[in-house]
Amino acid sequence: MCKIGIYLVCDYPDRDRFLKAVKLCERFGVDFLEIGIPFSDPTADGDVIEMASLQVLTREDMNDFHEALETVREIYSKRLYVMTYANVVYANGIEDFAKKFSFVDGVILADVPFKESKRFKGVFGRYDIGFVNFVTPETDLNALKKIKTFANDFIYFVSIRGTTGGEFNLDSGAINRLERLKEGKQDVIVGFGIRTKNDIEKACKYADGVVIGTEAIKSLTLSRLEDFLRNVIS
Amino acid sequence: MKGYYGVYGGQFVAETLIHALDELEEAFAKFKRDKSAKGELDDLLKNYAGRPTPLYYAKNLSRYLGCDVYLKREDLLHSGAHKLNNTLGQAILTKFMEKRRIIAETGAGQHGVATATAAALLGIECIVYMGKIDAERQRPNLLRMKLLGADVRIVEKGSMTLKSAINEALRDWVKNVQATHYILGSVVGPHPFPEIVAYFQSIIGREAKRQILKQAGKLPDCVIACVGGGSNAIGIFKGFLKDNVELIGVEAGGESLELGKHSATLAMGRPGILHGSLSYLLQDDCGQVAKVHSISAGLDYPGIGPEHSYLKDTGRVKYGVCFDSEALDGFKILSKLEGIIPALESAHAVGYVLKKRDYFKGKMIVINVSGRGDKDLGIIESMEENGV
Ligand SMILES: Cc1ncc(COP(=O)(O)O)c(C=O)c1O
Repeated sequence: MCKIGIYLVCDYPDRDRFLKAVKLCERFGVDFLEIGIPFSDPTADGDVIEMASLQVLTREDMNDFHEALETVREIYSKRLYVMTYANVVYANGIEDFAKKFSFVDGVILADVPFKESKRFKGVFGRYDIGFVNFVTPETDLNALKKIKTFANDFIYFVSIRGTTGGEFNLDSGAINRLERLKEGKQDVIVGFGIRTKNDIEKACKYADGVVIGTEAIKSLTLSRLEDFLRNVIS
Repeated sequence: MKGYYGVYGGQFVAETLIHALDELEEAFAKFKRDKSAKGELDDLLKNYAGRPTPLYYAKNLSRYLGCDVYLKREDLLHSGAHKLNNTLGQAILTKFMEKRRIIAETGAGQHGVATATAAALLGIECIVYMGKIDAERQRPNLLRMKLLGADVRIVEKGSMTLKSAINEALRDWVKNVQATHYILGSVVGPHPFPEIVAYFQSIIGREAKRQILKQAGKLPDCVIACVGGGSNAIGIFKGFLKDNVELIGVEAGGESLELGKHSATLAMGRPGILHGSLSYLLQDDCGQVAKVHSISAGLDYPGIGPEHSYLKDTGRVKYGVCFDSEALDGFKILSKLEGIIPALESAHAVGYVLKKRDYFKGKMIVINVSGRGDKDLGIIESMEENGV
């Protein structure tokens, strides 16, 4: 069983088409959703997601994103994650953010590595929100052990070097670490660079699932998300 | 906590960069213990870069202001600004780590030029990211970088200034981290960058202290420096932190203190997370990074080094603001009275002293002239054409 997650930028291309995309994900049985709250300086993202984020930011703010996510929660039944950057959560207090978004299952912060995750994880934990840690092909093996022990939600395996939108590939460092994570209590989800059914099969030899971002956004931009989902799920 | 100044600092970057930051920390520790590497740097600083830079008693400006003004002449350092202190040091670190490719961001172009200079000297491939607006307003430095052999990549996204250049440099680094070292140009970014850059820039303060004691026989009352990310300021402040000397950092007030029209991060911002560290940040109510403005490309940045945030909170350093028009006054006065054309960045420190001349009356002060102003002549010309 290989779980498939889809990443969408909140309210991209607009509220209406975004919510339709969420409904499609529900209909196709997508296993989890990651909704990106746009940040002005998304340094972990490639051009596609950056452009989408900046487009939304020209007209919307946090109140809009909160409203949109509440609606997502109503129409999507499986696990729902917020993905964003540290400052969006930190700006008005982590507690405040956690309270506001206590209806989501977990939070992923692209610029919060394991080393800096404690202060976030602690607060989110009190609101029953998971915190996702990352592992990369170069993660130090001692750190990997700790991450495995302290994970309270899935482990996000960054399969490639580079920002979102690069090529998919698993090198020996990646496979070595994925094998070490295998019998852990949490799912291991491979992200960054997944586009095709073939990539998914490759990743799921070693992991519990994948998340598809850039490719989903691209197909949504071209109004082809339905075809894309049909193609990768089945 | 390691990597923190009080509550500020940290390593807020993609997990992918953690390995490279660990590696850098290790290389830096090794460098500090390595006599021959330090010897190599000292030799380059002296015979190639021109250290020590003079501390000059500015007689005419002193008479004009009614106080004793000494200028620390980083404008006389090779390539025209203090930036080379850091890039020579980090280029040697790059060799330590056996990396073959250097990337850098630049705003005013001075850090880009200094990185390209060090890379040319040590035979390392060099890529510099520069926002489109900065490439236009600091065109002489763009041309210099190209002559020095750097591959300059113009960034046409986001603010198209220093902030966007750092975004792109970070993206490049994530992608090419195994063979690439990112030479950050100020005391910003994730740990250990603020510490490394401060270490290499602290030579300014060490020299200045020795020189002022020799020339004036006592410590100054105040030391004043402009603050963008904060590297020239930290560099000179480090020499006087433990002394009874007033330290003043000057931020860019731009056109006014309305959000979007200035870059006075410590004066008007609140703590936030950008480019790898927790520090004061200019941001909107929702945590989106704010638009900023300064006439000076090197100060036109919404963030600030974490150590400055700490020094502000502890009260050890005072931070003031100099507006665009006041910086232009400083630029012109120093040129006319002393025959020294400062960088527009450095002109903020001079402009602040002009504006607060009553406060400084009778005192002995040191102003850090962080760079020279050749790069800014185009800006001055267009201001005059517009009748400013
Ligand atoms: C001459 C000069 N002074 C000052 C600065 C501001 O940087 P920092 O605050 O790191 O010294 C710059 C940056 O480009 C510069 O070129």
